[in-house]
Amino acid sequence: MKNIKIKNSIWKNCLVTIAIFAIAAGFCFLLQRVASTDTHVPLIFVLAVLFISRFTQGYVYGIAASLLAVIGVNFVFTYPYFKFDFTITGYPITFLAMLAVAISVSALTTQIKKQEQIKLEIEKEKMRGNLLRAVSHDIRTPLTSIVGSASAVIDNYEVLPDDKKLELTKDIRDEAQWLIRIVENLLSVTRINGSSANISTNLEVVEEIAGSAVQKFLKRFPDVKVDVNIPGEVLLVPMDGILIEQVIVNLLENSVLHGETDRIVMNITNNEREVIFAVEDDGRGIRPDVLPVMFEGGLHTEESEEPDSRRNMGIGLSVCMSIVKAHKGDMKAENRKEGGASVKFSLPLKKEQIYGN
Amino acid sequence: MEIKDRILVIEDDKSIRNFLRAILEANHYDVMMANTGSEAYSLITSQCPDLVILDLGLPDMDGMKILRNVREWSAMPIVVVSARSHEKDKVAALDMGADDYITKPFGTSELLARIRTAIRHTRTAAATPGLGQSGTFVSGNFTIDYDKHRVFVDGKDANLTQNEFKIVALLGKYAGRVMTYDYIMKEIWGPNMKNDNQILRVNMANIRRKIEKNPAQPQYIFTEAGVGYRMVEAD
Repeated sequence: MKNIKIKNSIWKNCLVTIAIFAIAAGFCFLLQRVASTDTHVPLIFVLAVLFISRFTQGYVYGIAASLLAVIGVNFVFTYPYFKFDFTITGYPITFLAMLAVAISVSALTTQIKKQEQIKLEIEKEKMRGNLLRAVSHDIRTPLTSIVGSASAVIDNYEVLPDDKKLELTKDIRDEAQWLIRIVENLLSVTRINGSSANISTNLEVVEEIAGSAVQKFLKRFPDVKVDVNIPGEVLLVPMDGILIEQVIVNLLENSVLHGETDRIVMNITNNEREVIFAVEDDGRGIRPDVLPVMFEGGLHTEESEEPDSRRNMGIGLSVCMSIVKAHKGDMKAENRKEGGASVKFSLPLKKEQIYGN
Repeated sequence: MEIKDRILVIEDDKSIRNFLRAILEANHYDVMMANTGSEAYSLITSQCPDLVILDLGLPDMDGMKILRNVREWSAMPIVVVSARSHEKDKVAALDMGADDYITKPFGTSELLARIRTAIRHTRTAAATPGLGQSGTFVSGNFTIDYDKHRVFVDGKDANLTQNEFKIVALLGKYAGRVMTYDYIMKEIWGPNMKNDNQILRVNMANIRRKIEKNPAQPQYIFTEAGVGYRMVEAD
């Protein structure tokens, strides 16, 4: 599998090299006809080498291309045409200079590409940092409440009335359930392994994943009414089913916890390129100032009417976003005209994965 | 005096043992506890419990080893409880012969339901040796008629194909339990089928379109993502 990948990339790089050289050569022939001078030829080939270094991977192609260019230009475009002659006055120096320029250009572009890579890594690291900060905040609050409530019951067992004890114990359970939700999201992030956002996908039937997500959700919120509409045909979509299930559960829970609704509709539709999951509710909707940043993670509602509230959407949604992104899909949120929120995400599919009707 | 079912809990965490004992005794089970694998062995062989709750992460051995050893000589119901949440761990335990698999953290009502199912299944399997399927399976408006090889929903024939019926019949036989994709594949298409469950998934999608009102909100056959299918319990 890996071998095939490497072979493919060699083919691709060689093709790019050949294509750019062909364009350069064609251009030189054209200029030779029109202007009947040779002085521009080395410059055009330096340009070609620059492009080759830019559009291939590693140093190898750039350097090989510059050597090839030096030899090729001497052979084809300098007098005597179609003969090697490295003894023309001045030319050896010209070509040495060209070789030097080509090599340093290809080294430079490789360097730039490396720096881009590093920048991307830093960006990812930053996201991870944001997530960690959000998580430790989200974990501390319920932990404090659990320890506090439990101590309250233990230390005041004789004096507290029974209903107060029951209330405190219920709080402990609720807070612990909140922690479970956070941990499940964190586990999802660890499934998107490492930096390359590689996920192991299997073909999953869309309605199965949606169905098991809804079932999971209803275990926690049995009083909420969820309607799922699915396309008539059986859709098999490449995905990590557990992760997509997590995304759907998060979206449903957000509708209840933030939208404060008890009616949710999930519409699943598809076109030739993708399947689209839309979770819509008739709740409070999303605050307009939150809308543009809600997927960024670590979102805290510090300036809102609920200071230090852990009822923020940060972790859940940023996890959703990274899961969907890892599937090469997209995610959007908006407020519906009729009121309530609508969050949509799409997953790419291949045409042959649509079955019958 | 009623005869209580005896449950052996193999778990090394003290607070989990504590609350398991509390809820199990409150639900009229006799409870035995084992901290370690070796302790568990001697209790399983000497006491023959009616059900075993097995934590896979034990201090002295891997819980899977206990599962494998017990399955060599006994079909006693074993419910695996584990903090390993990856679906391949679930599949491994189920394929090794665990009756059920519950991931920590779990709710008490869920655990009790799984225990009841596992005990009942072992009883019915013992009462009907050979597992020849006959009669009917009924859950609400859903009926599997094993003799006629038909499935009825709201009294109407669902018109399942032969393979579709085989799948439904298999799930009905073990209703309430998760059947892994692999297990179903082997039972229906034989051991030589290539290890790709796509054909099963497409068949299941077609079955759901015939028996469920909304295939995405099934009432009779549920999906355990990444693991397999589970049929609703009979009435």
